[in-house]
Amino acid sequence: MLDDKKDDIFLSRWINGELSEKELNEFRSHPEYTHYKKIITGVDALHPKQYDIEKELADLKSKRNFKKSSSTIKLWPFVAAAASIVIIFGLFLFTPDISYHTNYGETLTVTLPDGSEMTLNAKSTASFDESNWDTQRNITLEGEAFFKVQKGSKFTVTTANGEVSVLGTQFSVHSQKSLFQVHCFEGKVSVASHKEHTILSAGIAFRRLDKNSEKWKFSTSIPSWLTNTSSFKNIPIQYVFAELEEQYNIIIVDDNVKLNKHTFTGTFPNNNLQVALRTVCNTLGIEYTISQDRKTVVLKK
Amino acid sequence: MDEKDSTCNEKVFDHFFRSHAKLLRNYLYYKFGNLDQAEDIVQDAFIKLWKNCSKVHLDKAKSYVYTVATNLGISRARHEKVKFNYKDYILHRNTGITNESPEFIALEKEYMQKLKQAIAELPERQREVFLLSRIDKKTYKEIAEISNVSVKAIEKLMHKALATLRKTIGNI
Repeated sequence: MLDDKKDDIFLSRWINGELSEKELNEFRSHPEYTHYKKIITGVDALHPKQYDIEKELADLKSKRNFKKSSSTIKLWPFVAAAASIVIIFGLFLFTPDISYHTNYGETLTVTLPDGSEMTLNAKSTASFDESNWDTQRNITLEGEAFFKVQKGSKFTVTTANGEVSVLGTQFSVHSQKSLFQVHCFEGKVSVASHKEHTILSAGIAFRRLDKNSEKWKFSTSIPSWLTNTSSFKNIPIQYVFAELEEQYNIIIVDDNVKLNKHTFTGTFPNNNLQVALRTVCNTLGIEYTISQDRKTVVLKK
Repeated sequence: MDEKDSTCNEKVFDHFFRSHAKLLRNYLYYKFGNLDQAEDIVQDAFIKLWKNCSKVHLDKAKSYVYTVATNLGISRARHEKVKFNYKDYILHRNTGITNESPEFIALEKEYMQKLKQAIAELPERQREVFLLSRIDKKTYKEIAEISNVSVKAIEKLMHKALATLRKTIGNI
């Protein structure tokens, strides 16, 4: 048995349960037995660090696709030879970016090729290149949208005011005239705007208006407009009226009212024009009239 | 070639990855001693399989990824002489026994530390076979297939591994 130099697989047979009853009883009364038993008990309590198989598979796929595209680049010299044919076919095969547009008072939820979700608020346009989606998750946005991003490669929203990129999270971007506002609801997002670069964690919002930027905390878990409310924090009033115009397809005429100095903090509903106008205007002490066709609102001091 | 046995088929490939990647990663870790590197090698080996999927049929795929991965491991280990690193990677399962005395727990902790150290010092082949058997619960036959040797050789390595551990740990 153990002391028998010729039995060079004794211990192996033991832990594999291959010893005869006689052998096992002998071994149990051997002084070495408890030491070996302890080693096995100890080893059986060990395990290597967790392996996230789905994450590894996703990583593999993104690398695999990346390598695929780099090999296409190498093919360029050969492709060039057949350029004239490519041009002719190109006319038919060229697919423009996919684009989504919402009109006054509409919201639209779109599932992107990787399962990420994008919800557009009223009067917004978003477009992306579907054929390159695997390697480049890039959305061009004008207006406002909320994103639920699946884990994966970098996800970027490009606007005229700046760029927001993330790895997998929930956030909303609002880019209108010179107002740029980002709310991060889950995970982390990185915001680059006018040479300023900042990282937002969950519950932090960023805003740049003309040249001034600020950050603040908030506690909602989804953007208010997803529940048919528009919400503002210390925003110059013209942006609030612009939002009213977009939600209700109206024109607001600010006759002789000096609006520039006002800012607005509060919310208005997106499905009741009367209440919305009253809420905003009463807060600011402005009177207004609505035209017969309910399309024009005239503000008066 | 039948589509359902082709590694070019994404579903077949995914399933193959899910059923083999973890063991391959552990095998490479036990053998070469670096967990992060083992995970990188798994990625590279499977990417290579994907690129060559038209040439590597499903029934050859397992030995293909093991061979590719082992070769990658050897060439990388040549560059950087790594020692088996157990500190961050091998974890001690909580046994859930809470009624032990503090002295006993301290002693256990010391013992486990020593055990891990002893495993780290095992010759590569012994460690690989021993951990595949004890941690991954692989049979001698399965381990023999993975490491391309006979069952008899595995049994000898198992015996040696235990005897070596016993010697290193001493009477604690």
